Amino acid sequence: MRLSEIMGRLDLAFWPQAALVIFLAVFASVVWRLYARTSREEMERAGRLPLEEEGVVGRTGTK
Amino acid sequence: MSTSAARTDVVRTAAIEPQLGRRPGSVVERFVYDDQIVRMFVLATMIWGLVATLAGVFIGVELAFPKANLGLEWFSFGRLRPLHTNAAIFAFAGNSIFAAIYYSTQRLCKTRMYSDVLSRLHFWGWQAIIVSAALTLPFGITQGKEYAELEWPIDLAIAVVWLGFFGVNFFGTLAVRRERHMYVALWFYIATIVTVTILHVFNNLSLPLAVVELVKTGHWPRGEEWMKSWPVYAGVQDAFMQWWYGHNAVAFFLTTPFLGLMYYFMPKAAERPVYSYRLSIVHFWSLVFIYIWAGPHHLHYTALPGWASSLGMVFSVMLWMPSWGGMINGLMTLRGAWHKVTSDPILKFFVVGVTFYGMSTFEGPMLSVKSVNSLSHYTDWTIAHVHGGALGWNGFLSFGMIYWLLPRLFQAPLYSKRLMSTHFYVATVGILLYVLAIYTAGITQGLMWRAFDESGRLQYPDFVETVVRLVPFYWIRVVGGLLYVVGIVMMGYNAFMTWRARPETYVEEVHEAPALEREYDDGPLPETRLTANIDAAKQWDSKYLQGWFHRVWERKPLKFTVWVVAAVATASLFEIIPTFLIRSNVPTIASVKPYTPLELVGRDIYVGEGCYNCHSQMIRPLWHETVRYGEYSKPGEFVYDHPFQWGSRRIGPDLAREGGRQSFDWHVRHLENPRNINGQSLMPTYAHLLTEKLDFESIQGRVDAMAMLGVPYGDAVKPGEAVKMARKQAMEIADTIVKQGGYADLGDKKVIALVAYLQRIGTDISKPADAAPAAPAAPATPAAEEPKKAEAGGAGGSVASTR
Ligand code: HEC
Repeated sequence: MRLSEIMGRLDLAFWPQAALVIFLAVFASVVWRLYARTSREEMERAGRLPLEEEGVVGRTGTK
Repeated sequence: MSTSAARTDVVRTAAIEPQLGRRPGSVVERFVYDDQIVRMFVLATMIWGLVATLAGVFIGVELAFPKANLGLEWFSFGRLRPLHTNAAIFAFAGNSIFAAIYYSTQRLCKTRMYSDVLSRLHFWGWQAIIVSAALTLPFGITQGKEYAELEWPIDLAIAVVWLGFFGVNFFGTLAVRRERHMYVALWFYIATIVTVTILHVFNNLSLPLAVVELVKTGHWPRGEEWMKSWPVYAGVQDAFMQWWYGHNAVAFFLTTPFLGLMYYFMPKAAERPVYSYRLSIVHFWSLVFIYIWAGPHHLHYTALPGWASSLGMVFSVMLWMPSWGGMINGLMTLRGAWHKVTSDPILKFFVVGVTFYGMSTFEGPMLSVKSVNSLSHYTDWTIAHVHGGALGWNGFLSFGMIYWLLPRLFQAPLYSKRLMSTHFYVATVGILLYVLAIYTAGITQGLMWRAFDESGRLQYPDFVETVVRLVPFYWIRVVGGLLYVVGIVMMGYNAFMTWRARPETYVEEVHEAPALEREYDDGPLPETRLTANIDAAKQWDSKYLQGWFHRVWERKPLKFTVWVVAAVATASLFEIIPTFLIRSNVPTIASVKPYTPLELVGRDIYVGEGCYNCHSQMIRPLWHETVRYGEYSKPGEFVYDHPFQWGSRRIGPDLAREGGRQSFDWHVRHLENPRNINGQSLMPTYAHLLTEKLDFESIQGRVDAMAMLGVPYGDAVKPGEAVKMARKQAMEIADTIVKQGGYADLGDKKVIALVAYLQRIGTDISKPADAAPAAPAAPATPAAEEPKKAEAGGAGGSVASTR
């Protein structure tokens, strides 16, 4: 019996449903940790990253 | 490798004024950003934006006025529509995200790009790919799968340029970055790069004809044979892969990188940080975890198994919330700055662009609800939906970014703010005209298809009636599209004039930042990282340590990337494997047999001409569809279809039960000029197929390829056998056509193969199980000799259906 036949007889339609639940659980835990385990300051600091243009120490020219 | 790059930076900036010395004792490095590569990508974005939208306007005109293609096959709708979509997605949007990524990544990582050479290779490689797309698609060289039309040699080049040049350069840059925290925009870029790679590779797995000829047929490939391939998947599975790809290409090519763009450039333009950084992280993970599942919503009511499409629907609806979270996050970034929006066209572009994101991501989940989808699918509603996204979201975000960049890149004030403002208004009106007209067209046509009169018959049995009704809307679309094009021209002029005012030499800012220590890949002890940092940062860092989330993921590009890949791959596998393996998903139908060699090459012509851009081959189990077209389509009917040709838009009628509906002669005359048969038809003329010779010699290779992919071809794979069978069937059909009062001497023309295929489509299911052995020599079409003439529009055919 070929592997694909064996696999074909398993009830794989259950897989995606299980995966759906797992994915939602992982996603929910990510969101939970994000809100419970990170500090306001670090979030604010991270949010300001694009606005930092510090560290310019000189200028040079190119064609 | 990272040290050498850092050293290069130091060398490169060695010429600057020495009075600004290093801070004593610190490992401070100096670097300049590569803005030239950004200038190049911005220029390419503008050029391809113009090309893509012009191509769009042109095919828009063709739908309103079919003669616009001048009867030239290279310009016909089926061949140019892929050119338009590929140019819009990969050339316009692609170059735009590259410009955004190259500009923002360097700044967010406080480093020059990892390798200038890779940057250049990426740029020129990508432009070469676009040009090769423009040189192949009009010649009918296509894989026949939407947004994945480019043939295998170009696909290989895409993989090399995308991952080998762009990916390596990007991840190299992350590796040499001087800012520990990876800002959320970078996450979106990471997800883009890895996911697009996965999608591209797996959807494009195919068997090239040239390979088959070299290893099996023993015949040196000639000319176009080098550029032909078939997907390894067939039928339902091919459809599933295609829309897993197609949907996620929207997610990871047109959404995530543009969100990265939004999260970087909107705060820049508004001069305030993003409203909620946390929300942006939620936004990110929701896209990675959820979007990847939503693909099957493109295949509601098709032969796709029900569980798969329901799953697609659930996930699509779930997507609505995070997407709106993202939109609100973008708009709220302007809190306290709304007065600026009234005076700053750049912010206007961003605000309207993000609003279109919100509209599209609201509408998308709505369209994925089965009952809505039953009306919207195959109509212009989908076209309106994607143009809201492409013109509004992708387009306006790109324009906003370009206008913000122009003065900075060319180091001169923008030539005309007024012109920029005019561009904004002209383009907005253009989008509104386009979208409103095409929504109306879509809903009108959807309702006409399902309308029954009091006696229980289709109210519009003649399909073409439902098309002609749309022509006025198509003209409005042309006007809207033209306005959008005019806007791009204005932007080009503005850019050109700004460029003219550039300084003789560009000033480059030299930046300075401490290098990150290198051991973080191995999981460094947190305390050791901050030797070079100031106190405030140390304080911040110790808090930072509490954040498991950050420590593990954000700072470590490698692990972060692995997680994204794991999420995407797991979701995809859980989704895809059952489709391939559950036997009950594709019940075999004993009477469904492989195409004859002649029909097979005819099918390749069908694919090459891009008939799928106007014709579906998928009758949904809806009452009005079975009445109009006949028995609904079954999964088992497509097991030999490499690639599947279900289509996504019906500009012409469904062809899934076309076989035997008309006479051979009817098809020939219809293809020669559809308007000879049906005065109001929008279908292009295919007269060239009546004169061009069919290349019989290539048929053996085609049959061998199918056999290698598992199609049971039996004797037809014997050397020369397939060619013999094809010639015989071609002569028989040619004789039939003459008997039916048609043209003589068609036996060696392309049209014969195409018509043979058309007469076969959807007929097997009504045959007895033992009929039609593999590759029969006689025309496999019953009852085709009797022309079924009917009243308007050539309607007729089986009792159950009318058109
Ligand atoms: C621009 C869109 C467009 C393209 C591209 C197109 N068609 Fe059509 N086709 C139509 C329209 C509209 C009709 C209905 C009017 C008519 O019968 O001509 C139609 C009708 C047909 C019919 C008649 C169905 C029937 O029995 O009434 C056939 C067969 C057909 N097309 C085959 C093809 C083939 C084969 C190709 C590719 C070589 C093709 N079409 C490309 C738009 C298109």
